[in-house]
Amino acid sequence: MTLSMVLLVSCGLFTLGLIAALTHTHAIRILIGIELMLGAANLNFIAFWRAGVDPGALVGVMTVLFAIGIAAAETALGLALVLLVRRRSREVDVDRIRELNG
Amino acid sequence: MPALLLLLLLAAAAAVCFPNLIHATLALALAFALLGAAFLALGAEFAGFVQILVNVGAVAVLIAFVVLITRPERITIDLPSGAAWTGALAALVLGATLVFCVVRTPLDPGPLMRGAAAAPSSAKAIGTDLIGAYLLPLQLLGLLLTAALVGAALLARDEPGPGESEGPDR
Repeated sequence: MTLSMVLLVSCGLFTLGLIAALTHTHAIRILIGIELMLGAANLNFIAFWRAGVDPGALVGVMTVLFAIGIAAAETALGLALVLLVRRRSREVDVDRIRELNG
Repeated sequence: MPALLLLLLLAAAAAVCFPNLIHATLALALAFALLGAAFLALGAEFAGFVQILVNVGAVAVLIAFVVLITRPERITIDLPSGAAWTGALAALVLGATLVFCVVRTPLDPGPLMRGAAAAPSSAKAIGTDLIGAYLLPLQLLGLLLTAALVGAALLARDEPGPGESEGPDR
């Protein structure tokens, strides 16, 4: 497994996530796309950490750990917003959601 | 190892393309698990297990719950509109650019796991770093997660808003 192979897979993963986020209008599908893009970024961090001159410095791993934690917070809030909007307007399609005020 | 990466791409493509949202969520969980396996294969054991625990165990399950709760009353067929095709085209152009950049960059052609035995990423070293150099970010992350949890519970709590009658289906 070479560095460029992992980077190419990461490119593919990011592109798939971007396609999901840009083409779908269902809010949960957009969240799935964002999760895939975050995973691609984390894969890049791990690959470059492993390819770096000093893998004893744990910068790549630490970045991935914090990114996973922040992504979990983001997903929880996004899903709560989906639930709220769905309850208020019976709609999960982001193209049909017109009102945001309380 | 290339088979693992290929499976990862296939699972991600399934998560994007499956028309049934529950199937897409399960494919996302599979993609997360394979991504964690890729972390393990790259020698990042701690990050791999955190990825599997958090993303497969919590995030994917949370998405599945929300999919089940927000089951739509009417099924909308997600026909790609003009904007969707434009978005897909833009994403593909970006992906092609990224692949072009990776291919044209002179990278180290050797295998990645060469120095793995010399510098393992032990959980002990990570724990020491977490309560050492990364103590402040760790505390901030705990604060962020607490705030996100409280905010999510506040947003999603089951309470009729002002001037809104209790729905019959909740």
